[in-house]
Amino acid sequence: MELYKFLPKTNCKKCGKPTCMAFALDLLQGKVKVDDCTPLLEPKYKKEYDKLKELLGAEEGKEKELRIDVDEELCDGCGICVTVCPVNARYCPPTLSGKAPDYPPEKHQLFQIKGGKCELLAIKHCRRIEAEGRERECRVCETYCPREAIKIDYV
Amino acid sequence: MVNKRVTCSGCSLLCDDIIISTDGLYIDEVIGACLKGKERFDRVSAKNRIFNPYIKKNGELIKTTLEEAFEQVFKIIKNSTKPLLYGFSTVSCEAQLKGMELACLINGFIDSNSTICQGKVLNTSKETGLTLTTIGEAINKSDLLILWGANAAESIPRLLNKVLFSRGKFRMTGREIKTLIIIDPIKTASFNVMGVRDVALQIEPAKDIDLIRVLKDECCRVNSFPDEGVAGIDKNDLKRLLLHLTGTENGIIFIGQGILNAQNGNSVIKEMLELIQLINAKHEKGRISAFMLGGHYNMWGFDHVALSNYGINHSLQFTNQQLTETSDTIISKIEKDDFDCSIIVGTDPISHFPKQLSKKLISKPLILIDNTKTATFHIADVIIPSTLTGIETDGLAYRIDHIPLNLEKIINPPKNILSDEEIIKKIIRNLKQG
Ligand code: SF4
Ligand code: SF4
Ligand code: SF4
Ligand code: SF4
Repeated sequence: MELYKFLPKTNCKKCGKPTCMAFALDLLQGKVKVDDCTPLLEPKYKKEYDKLKELLGAEEGKEKELRIDVDEELCDGCGICVTVCPVNARYCPPTLSGKAPDYPPEKHQLFQIKGGKCELLAIKHCRRIEAEGRERECRVCETYCPREAIKIDYV
Repeated sequence: MVNKRVTCSGCSLLCDDIIISTDGLYIDEVIGACLKGKERFDRVSAKNRIFNPYIKKNGELIKTTLEEAFEQVFKIIKNSTKPLLYGFSTVSCEAQLKGMELACLINGFIDSNSTICQGKVLNTSKETGLTLTTIGEAINKSDLLILWGANAAESIPRLLNKVLFSRGKFRMTGREIKTLIIIDPIKTASFNVMGVRDVALQIEPAKDIDLIRVLKDECCRVNSFPDEGVAGIDKNDLKRLLLHLTGTENGIIFIGQGILNAQNGNSVIKEMLELIQLINAKHEKGRISAFMLGGHYNMWGFDHVALSNYGINHSLQFTNQQLTETSDTIISKIEKDDFDCSIIVGTDPISHFPKQLSKKLISKPLILIDNTKTATFHIADVIIPSTLTGIETDGLAYRIDHIPLNLEKIINPPKNILSDEEIIKKIIRNLKQG
């Protein structure tokens, strides 16, 4: 997380967020502005403050949307994303033993393998949108895809 | 349209959780299978599927009738005294048994793909002993997975999904408690699934045996660690590897093609199995098992059928309709030119074998029983098309962990196409009737 590097990392909660990490995540999605972190305005953080401003540029404060891209060309349907995604694990019991979830898919299910390729079903239940706290930082599907076919992004 | 769970015959993992929707005539949708599995289901109507019998006339393959093709097969076999039967790792156990019966009847030599692959490990284990495990155990109980010369992410796409990422019945945490160690000279796609606690060891090519010898040496001594690295692995990594090997509760070593290849020599397999037995003998609270990774969906079937019917697991030589002892394998047979015709079932030796061997195979009459147009198809003298087992025919197959599973028939085969078992049965019947 590039933005997090430039925050004070003291978790002082002055911004109203529980942690600096949570603040960084909201910053990325355009839900808060750099100035909402008041400690950053202190002179000793001047360099970090300028860097953040520069990184965000005109994008600052613009609401952004989560996007999970699956590259069909790269994917070989190994199903690792289906198994590791914690939302799938919760709503589709077969994934606990590495099996394919039932079909038709459960309404919370995020990934399924169809025709040998991974399909993203309902992004709105992704932990990055629905969960609170640390769980919001989930990106295991992207981390473990052996083909590097999954990209999580905010646009 | 009904959805049902079936077993995939795309590779030796035989995933039994594939959902297909079908109307009994066509397969509409395949859910849960990887790309390789999907391609297997697609073969039903693939462009390179063989739908007709062929015979070669004046150097050209021409379509013919089943009768004529069987007639030609009959002639070739009648004129031969030393036939060679090879393949059989992508057919059902029933067809494998019939294949051995045919070999016995015509005094042939029969061998399967596993001879030049994981069958070597099974053979070696007769001297050393072998600790095996199942996929279920890997899912639910394992805590250490070592991929040794095995690019699982390529050859068996869903293996890592099942054994590494599944959460398992007793632990529920899955990935977090499983340590993955990859020992391979090249960075394969499997390296991408590494987590922070995992260990990647890039070993120098063909130096596996040096590493195994050091491990064998050290694992017997308590709290002793080597002072220097070996085979391109430094001493800290070596120490971690040793600690994992001797501290695991339920470890699995996946033996891949990388170790079996020729430059590593044959003794490496023996030393590897000895290492496993050694650790298990010393080990108080856990054990390590071997897991042999082979690709064809019924590769182990041949070994088991041969073992239970004839007492040896491959390379069966029949003379006077009796099994006779031989040290030959399919490779040495072809090298010595010790055959006068070949019957190839469900495999493609022309693409897999080195050029000199292919040339020798081509120089004698070749009968092919298969469902896909491969390089061997184009040089064969007679071709009899067969059904796809696990889709158009049912049958028994042995999974990668030696568990027999029943493959189901899902749809009807195309008209005039017989299963491998029926084809071989018919050849036997023709021969018996003269
Ligand atoms: S105000 Fe700034 S330093 Fe304090 S918790 Fe929020 S982001 Fe962190
Ligand atoms: S983990 Fe990657 S390669 Fe595997 S199914 Fe998911 S997207 Fe495809
Ligand atoms: S980020 Fe986490 S919750 Fe969202 S799709 Fe990926 S694995 Fe699932
Ligand atoms: S891993 Fe093998 S058995 Fe499983 S779906 Fe893929 S091809 Fe079929």
